[in-house]
Amino acid sequence: MKRYVAGRLLESLVVLALMSYLIYGLIGLMPGDPIDIMVQADPDLTPADAARLKALYGLDKPLHERYLNWLSAALGGDFGYSRVHNAPALDVLGPRLVNTLVLMGLSFVVSLAIALPIGIYSALRPYGARDYAINFAALAGISVPVFWLALMLIYLFAVAWGVLPAGGMQTIGVDSLADKALYLVLPVLTLSAASAGGFTRFVRASTMETMRQDYIRTARAKGLPERRVVLKHALRNALIPVVTIVALSFGSLFSGALITETMFSYRGMGKLIYDSIMGNDYNLALVGLLFATVLTLLANLAADVCYAWLDPRISYQGPA
Amino acid sequence: MNAPPLLEARNLQKHFAVKGAGLFAGRIGTVRAVEDVSLALAAGKTFALVGESGCGKTTLARTLALLHRPSAGAIHFRGKEITHLKGRQLKLLRRDIQVIFQDPYGSLDPRMTVAAIVSEPLRIHRVGDRRGRAERVRELMDAVGLSPALADRYPHEFSGGQRQRIGIARALALNPKLVIADEPVSALDVSVQSQVLNLLQDLQEAFGLTYLLVSHDLAVVAHMAHRVAVMYLGRIVETAPRDDLFARPSHPYTQALLRAVPRPGGGKRRPGGGLGGEVPNPLSPPAGCPFHPRCPRAEDICREQLPALEAVPGSGDGHRAACHFKGWE
Amino acid sequence: MSGAPRSMAALTARRFARHRMAVAGALVLVALALSALAAPLVEVWLGIDANEVDLLARFEGRSAAHPLGADELGRDVLVRLLYGGRVSLFVALATALAAAVIGTVIGLVAGYYGRWADAVLMRVTDGVIALPILPLLIILAAVDMSKIPLVAALAETENASLYRIVLIITLVGWTTVARLVRGTALSLREREYVVAARGMGASGFRIMATHILPNTVSPIIVATTLSVGNVILFESVLSFLGLGIQPPIASWGNMLNNAQELIYEAPALAFYPGALIFLTVIAFNFLGDGLQDALDPKAVHG
Repeated sequence: MKRYVAGRLLESLVVLALMSYLIYGLIGLMPGDPIDIMVQADPDLTPADAARLKALYGLDKPLHERYLNWLSAALGGDFGYSRVHNAPALDVLGPRLVNTLVLMGLSFVVSLAIALPIGIYSALRPYGARDYAINFAALAGISVPVFWLALMLIYLFAVAWGVLPAGGMQTIGVDSLADKALYLVLPVLTLSAASAGGFTRFVRASTMETMRQDYIRTARAKGLPERRVVLKHALRNALIPVVTIVALSFGSLFSGALITETMFSYRGMGKLIYDSIMGNDYNLALVGLLFATVLTLLANLAADVCYAWLDPRISYQGPA
Repeated sequence: MNAPPLLEARNLQKHFAVKGAGLFAGRIGTVRAVEDVSLALAAGKTFALVGESGCGKTTLARTLALLHRPSAGAIHFRGKEITHLKGRQLKLLRRDIQVIFQDPYGSLDPRMTVAAIVSEPLRIHRVGDRRGRAERVRELMDAVGLSPALADRYPHEFSGGQRQRIGIARALALNPKLVIADEPVSALDVSVQSQVLNLLQDLQEAFGLTYLLVSHDLAVVAHMAHRVAVMYLGRIVETAPRDDLFARPSHPYTQALLRAVPRPGGGKRRPGGGLGGEVPNPLSPPAGCPFHPRCPRAEDICREQLPALEAVPGSGDGHRAACHFKGWE
Repeated sequence: MSGAPRSMAALTARRFARHRMAVAGALVLVALALSALAAPLVEVWLGIDANEVDLLARFEGRSAAHPLGADELGRDVLVRLLYGGRVSLFVALATALAAAVIGTVIGLVAGYYGRWADAVLMRVTDGVIALPILPLLIILAAVDMSKIPLVAALAETENASLYRIVLIITLVGWTTVARLVRGTALSLREREYVVAARGMGASGFRIMATHILPNTVSPIIVATTLSVGNVILFESVLSFLGLGIQPPIASWGNMLNNAQELIYEAPALAFYPGALIFLTVIAFNFLGDGLQDALDPKAVHG
C-alpha cells in the first residue's frame, strides 16, 4: 500500500512537472508579452529599447531556458510579481484560494445532502414515476449551462423578486456572517446543481448494484427486516465508490467554480485565474493555474488512495 | 524414428512477469509456466501433451506456435531455427503451423460468417482471388463434413461440434504441415467428441498432418496419440510412446493420473487412490522435485534435488521419466 | 444476412424505444437540427439578414417582423438563434467525432499492444483527466494562434474561432473514449479468435481493424453521444466568456455575451440561447442514456 501511494505520488509529480512546462509555454503564446504592453503604454520606447528590455528580462532566451529560470525561482518560493495587483503573485492568490475552498466546500455539502437521500430513495424504488422524475431532475442538473443558470437565478432572485444580492461577497459597510451567508446562497446553489445531479445518479447506480449482490439476498433470506438490510449491509458498500467519485469530481467542480465566481463577482481563485488571463497578468495566471492543477491532482490522488484503502478486493501487493 | 523431427524444442522456457499496478510499480514475481522443456515431433504423427489444468501445457503449445516468445531455449522447424523469426519470415512460417482452439464459441468471431472465418487465413496471406477463395471454402467445408450451403451463416447458428469443424476447416485452409490442437474436444459433448477426433484422424491420413494435441483427458490421448508427454508445473515429467506409457507408467504423477481414469465397464478404480493435495502456486514452486509435496513416495532427496528426465531402466525406446525412483509399479 | 443479427437489431431498437425520454431526446435533436439547417430559409421568409443591425428595433418585443424580438443591436433573435444552432451543433458534432477518432486510436493501440504502449498512453490519459479542464481551455483559447507555426495558416481564415474551438476541446475531450476502447480491446485481445488471427499471421493493424474495432462500436457510440452534451457546454461557456466563437458568427454561447449587463432591460435575451443549450444538452444526455441501455443492457452506469 505504501509503495502504491509512493508510486502514484511520483506519477502526480511527473504530471505536475509536465503541466507546469506546458502552462508556462502556453502563457508565452498569449497575445502580447509584458514588453509589448510596455511599448504600447509608452510611445517613447523605440524597438531597440524593447529589444534591450527583453534581453534584460531574459525574454529573448529559448523557452526551456526561461522555464528553468522560472522554475528555480519558484522552487525557492518566488513566483513573481502580479502586474495588475502590484503584489507578489502568491500573496494575491492566498485569500482567493480560501474563498474558493469555502464556496466549493459548501457546494460539496449541499450536493451530497441532496444526492445521498434522493439517490438511495430512487435506488430502492427503481423504475417508478418518482424514480423517473428524479432521474430527469438529475440529468437536468448535469445538462444546465452553469453561467446560464447563474443568469436565471440572478434574474429571478435579484432582479424580479429582489430578495438576494446579484453578486459580490458582502454589503459594503456591513461585516457580519449572516450578511456574507446571504451573498453565498446563489453561488452555492448554482455550483451545486451539476454535482448534485451527477452524485444522485451515481449513488443510485451504486446502491442498485449493491442491492443485487448475493450477500444482500442472503441477508433478506435470513429474514432480516428490509430497513436493517439496507442500513447495515447495503449502504456501507454502496457508499465506498461514492467517496471516490466525490474526490474525482474536484476538477469539474473547480471548472464550475470558475464560472460561478465570474458570474457572481465572487472573489475566488477561479475568477482570479480568468481575470489574470484576460488582463495579461502572466505571473498571476501561471501561479493560479498551477495551484488549480496541484489541487486537482491531490484530489485525484486522494480518490485513488481511498479506493485502494476502502476496497479490499483490490490488492496492490500482487497475489499472496 | 530415424527421420528428422518436424519440430524440435530444446530447453524451452516461458516465464511471465507479474507486475503491480501503475507505471512505477515493480515486478512482483515470475510465473515459470514452461521450464526447461525439450521435445521432438515426428512428422505425420500425433504428439500429445497431457497434464492437469495450469500445468503449462497450453502455454507450451502456444509458445511452440510462436504465439508467445520463449524466454529461453530454441525451436527448430524442419531443421531451421524459428525461435526469433520476425516480420515476413514469421508470417511465412505461420502458413505451416496452424492452431485449433479449445473454445468453439470464443475462437470464432461472432460477427463473421463461416465463409469469412474459413477464408480469413487465405485473405491474410493473399492466396487466390475472390472466386478461388470461395471455391476453397467449399472444399474445406466439405472436407470437415459441413454442408457448403451453410457458408453464409454465423457461428452462433451452429452446434459446438459444428463450430469446432469450422475451426478445423480454418486451420487447414493454408495446407499447414503442423496443426496444434489445444483441447480440441474438451468443450464438446461426449457424444460429439469421438466424431471430431475421428475427423482429425481422417484428415491426418488424408493430408499427412502432424498433430500436437494438448489434452487433460487420458481417454482422448489414448485414442489419438502416437507419443505422449506428461507435464507437471511447467516441466515434462514423463514421455514415452503411447502404449509404453499406458502399460508401464514410471512417474508417480503419471501413475496417479492413470488411476484417476474411470475404467470402461464400470469397474472399480485401480487401488492406490488418485491425487491428493493441490497444484502448488506457480509463483513459488517447491524446491527439489516439483511433485514431492503430493507424492506418496517422496523422500529427503526429492525435497532437495530436481530429478533429471532420463531413460527408464528396463523400458522400451524413448521412455524417459523425471523421478528419483522411476520404474513402473 | 441471417435472421439472428436482424433480430438483435430489432431487440436493440425495442429496448431503445422503451426509453421514452431517449426517443423524445432524439426527436428534439432532429427538430433542432432541421430548424438550424433551415436558418437561411427563415431568413428569406422573414425578409431579414441575421447580422443586419437596426438600431430602431433595439430590444423590440415579439412582433410579426421579429417573432422572438430583437437584440441590443436590433438584430432578429430567432434568426440568430437558428444560425447559432448551426454553429453550436456543428462544433459539438465535429469535436465529438474528432475526439472519438483520436480516443479510439489511442485506446486500440494501448489495449491491443499492452505493455509500455499501454502504460505510457494510459498515464497520458490519466494526466489529461486529472487536469482542471476549464482553466486549461481558457488559456488554450487565449493563446495567440499566429504564434504557433503549424496552425498559423488556420488562424488567418474567416472561421478561425470555429476551428480553434473544435481543436482545443478535442485536445482534452478524447479521454473517455480512449479508456473505454482500451478496456474493451484489453479483454478482446485475449479472446481466442484474436489469438487465432495472430496465429494465422494477421498483422496488428488487421486484427484491430477486423476483430477488435467492430466489437467496440457500441461503447464508442454511447460515449460519443454523451460527450456531445459536454462539448456544447464547454463551447458555450467559452463563447460566453468571449474566448470561443467570435462575432459576427453567432453561437448560443456568444449570444449570451452581453446578456448579464442587459439582464435588467431585456431578460428574454438571456433566456432563449441558454434554454436552447439546456434543451440540446439534456436531449443528448437522454439519447446517450437510452443508447447505453439498448446497446449494452448489462452495463451499470453512473
